[in-house]
Amino acid sequence: MKILVKTLVTSRGYVPLATLIIFLILPLFLPTYFLHIMITIFFFAFVSQAWNIIGGYAGQLSLGNAAFLGLGAYGSVLLTYYYNIPPWIGGILIGGAVAIVLSLITGLACFRLRGPYFAISTLAIGEVMRLLFLNQRKITFGAEGVTVPYKGNSLLYFQFLSKVPYYYIALALMILSMYITWRIEKSKLGHYLVAINQNQDAAEAIGVNSIRAKQIALSTSAFLTAIGGTFYAQYIYFIDPDFVFGLGLSIEFAMIAIVGGVGTVMGPIIGSFLLRPAMEITNAFLGATYMGVHLIVYGCLLIAVVMLKPEGLIGWVGGLYQRLLKLLSKKDD
Amino acid sequence: MPDISILIQVIVSGILMGAIYSLVSIGLTIIFGVVRIVNFAHGEFLMIGMYATYFLWGTLGIDPLISILITTPLLFIIGAGIYKSLFKRVVVASDFSKIFLTVGISLVLQNIALLLFTANYWSVKTSYERMVLSLWGISISYPRLIGFLGAVILSFLISLFFLKTDLGKAMRAVAQNREVAMLMGINPDRIYLIAVGLGSAVAGATGTIIMPYFYVFPLVGFAFVVMCFAVVITGGLGNIKGALLCGPIFGIAESLGIFFVGADSGLIVAFLILILVLILRPSGLLEAGRL
Repeated sequence: MKILVKTLVTSRGYVPLATLIIFLILPLFLPTYFLHIMITIFFFAFVSQAWNIIGGYAGQLSLGNAAFLGLGAYGSVLLTYYYNIPPWIGGILIGGAVAIVLSLITGLACFRLRGPYFAISTLAIGEVMRLLFLNQRKITFGAEGVTVPYKGNSLLYFQFLSKVPYYYIALALMILSMYITWRIEKSKLGHYLVAINQNQDAAEAIGVNSIRAKQIALSTSAFLTAIGGTFYAQYIYFIDPDFVFGLGLSIEFAMIAIVGGVGTVMGPIIGSFLLRPAMEITNAFLGATYMGVHLIVYGCLLIAVVMLKPEGLIGWVGGLYQRLLKLLSKKDD
Repeated sequence: MPDISILIQVIVSGILMGAIYSLVSIGLTIIFGVVRIVNFAHGEFLMIGMYATYFLWGTLGIDPLISILITTPLLFIIGAGIYKSLFKRVVVASDFSKIFLTVGISLVLQNIALLLFTANYWSVKTSYERMVLSLWGISISYPRLIGFLGAVILSFLISLFFLKTDLGKAMRAVAQNREVAMLMGINPDRIYLIAVGLGSAVAGATGTIIMPYFYVFPLVGFAFVVMCFAVVITGGLGNIKGALLCGPIFGIAESLGIFFVGADSGLIVAFLILILVLILRPSGLLEAGRL
């Protein structure tokens, strides 16, 4: 308790706390459109963090994580549609369980593969899922997509007329993913994953069960991403296979983590706070007249980061943050 | 049980398509085999080849069979330029940099195409587009036949290039052991440039020969390259023989999938085969990386 109080009076303690409080009271002031941008920032930080566990820490560059998101999204919507099952059970528990099953199949098929083979195989698995959901029109409505059955303002059915509850749920999900990642980073598993990332043969030689460690990372990632899918479906009210299972989404998860900094707790958060507003702005101003222009910007940014700063912008942002802390603690004295 | 002649027809069209997959995969595999970069933007080179063919036909009225003489060198130059400006700097980098560099290039090229040419589907008209060859109850349209023959000839020429010419041998030497090749007086940088150029040129040429019977749109490359990824993984990345063999296998699998399961199930059947191969033989059917 004493230590807690001691850290809270230093800038290292009160800056994060103040940030959290600002986020908590922000919905009282923000207009709806900006609230929406904040929600997408939290959401992408969350799903990108999920990618970061397998892609960043374990270095297994999945290009198929959208498959897990799609399962969470379709589980949520279709089970409500057919059986009136609330999204909390249909999307998060059942969709999440199916996503874990898919992650086990992916692990069985792909974990013996290295580097580019793994990326390509996960891409292929994502494509299979997209095509399956496109094809099974009788169940999934195919390319038309599905609208969430309207239930009014209902916590049970994860539907709210205001954006504010979505804001808090998205914020909670982001913080949850940060906590889980932080716990993994500090655990034995986290060290195993980093070792596998750096040199899998050496890690195995000292007794790390690489397949098991990677499988835990992928299944965790899959389950979290499926929760993200449920959230996405319930927030947007509409899903279609080309988006929720699309390669574009899988790339975006990775890109946000890469721009921020892979294999770090804060990387995906920084990436999302930098990229999502930029995307919203280019889309709002140029999207209507120039199709795809924001993706050109995204692509160039990805190329630039990979070539010039593969460790991401975290070092730069972290430096700014440290300077802020110093500035504030000087004032304390 | 369907009529046996229909089944043969399905298999024949699978082989025709498979030769095209082989050719695209050869380009992919040359770049990987020599430079060790999986080019996720390979489909976009194919797309550029298709658009170039479309515009050569639309503005100058050049038949695709002739414009191959223009698109092939054009894509060689584009590929070499991308090597010089981008690939060169990640040759010794991690898989991570290599993969996401080419993913980024793919994203940029796709969306430039979307910006310039819109999402519409475009196609060329040729004098032979409606002609059909009928043999023993099997019918093959001329454009597909020409595309197939083009793919077979090009594949043959490329194999010959790697087996018989000094440059081809030098490329194989670099693919097999870069250091030793350097000691033999081969300049790897030049070889890398040629490999990326050649791989892109093959993609461009493929784009041209399929233009008489395919639509071009900004995402067309993706549909192809996903199938070709399956081909190169099964056949071994960097293995030309593997690409030659597995192209038709996946072409037939796709064709049978479309026939027995449903219109757009071709890729699913092909991918299920891939996943099965990965589970049973994780290194692929053939050895990887020998060119």
